[in-house]
Amino acid sequence: MKKNTFYLFGGCIALVLLAIFWYSVETHLPPLLIESAFIIAIGISYLARKKVTDLIEDERSARITEKAALRTFQVFWVVFCAISIGAVMNMLYIPQLPRQRFSEPSQEILPREILPPRMMGYLQLGLLCLMIFLYVGFRIYYARKYGDWETDEE
Amino acid sequence: MKNKIKVFRAMHDLTQEDLAQIVGVTRQTILAIEKGKYVPSLDLAFKIARHFKVNIEEVFTYSEEGRTIDVD
Repeated sequence: MKKNTFYLFGGCIALVLLAIFWYSVETHLPPLLIESAFIIAIGISYLARKKVTDLIEDERSARITEKAALRTFQVFWVVFCAISIGAVMNMLYIPQLPRQRFSEPSQEILPREILPPRMMGYLQLGLLCLMIFLYVGFRIYYARKYGDWETDEE
Repeated sequence: MKNKIKVFRAMHDLTQEDLAQIVGVTRQTILAIEKGKYVPSLDLAFKIARHFKVNIEEVFTYSEEGRTIDVD
C-alpha cells in the first residue's frame, strides 16, 4: 500500500467513525457501539500502517515521536491529576448542616455546586483535546529541533 | 558532534538521497546530521563510516561546550 492510499484510507475510517457517532447520538444508541467502533478503527489503522511500503521510519523520526510523547505525558499527567483530585473532592462531598440553618431558618442555604456527570464528559473531552494539542505542539518543536525544516544546499 | 559527511559524500560523488538509501534512513536525517541538528546513533554512525570505508573517528568528531576534542 502506498503512503497516500493509507492517508486516504485513514480519512475514510475517520468519516465512518463520525457517521457512527452521529447515528448513535441521533438514535440514542448505547455508547458501547461508538466505543468499540473506535477501538476497532484504531486496530485497523495500525494494521494498515504496517502494509505501507513507501513510509520510511528512521531513528530520527522515532526520536521525535519518543520525545514528543514523553513531554506530552510529563505535562498531561500533572493537569490530569489536578483535575482528577478536584473530581474526587466533588465525589466525596458530604452535605453539612451549618449553624446558620438554625440561627437564621428563613434564609435558604444552597448546597455547594457539584460538578454534574455531563460536565465531567465535557471536561474529559477538553483533556483529550489538550493532550492532542500538546502532542502536536511538542512534535512540531522536536521536528524543528532535529532539523525537519532545514533547507537543502544541494 | 561535528562530522565530515558532506566532505566524504563529495569524495564519493554521492547525493544525500543516495547515502540515505544506502544506510536506510531518510534524506532529511542525513541533512540534519550534516547540519549538526541531529546526533546519529552509534549504529547509524558506524554504517556511514563503514560505507566510506573509514574509521568512525574520521567522520565524526566529539565536541563539548564549543571545544572540539578529536576522538583519535
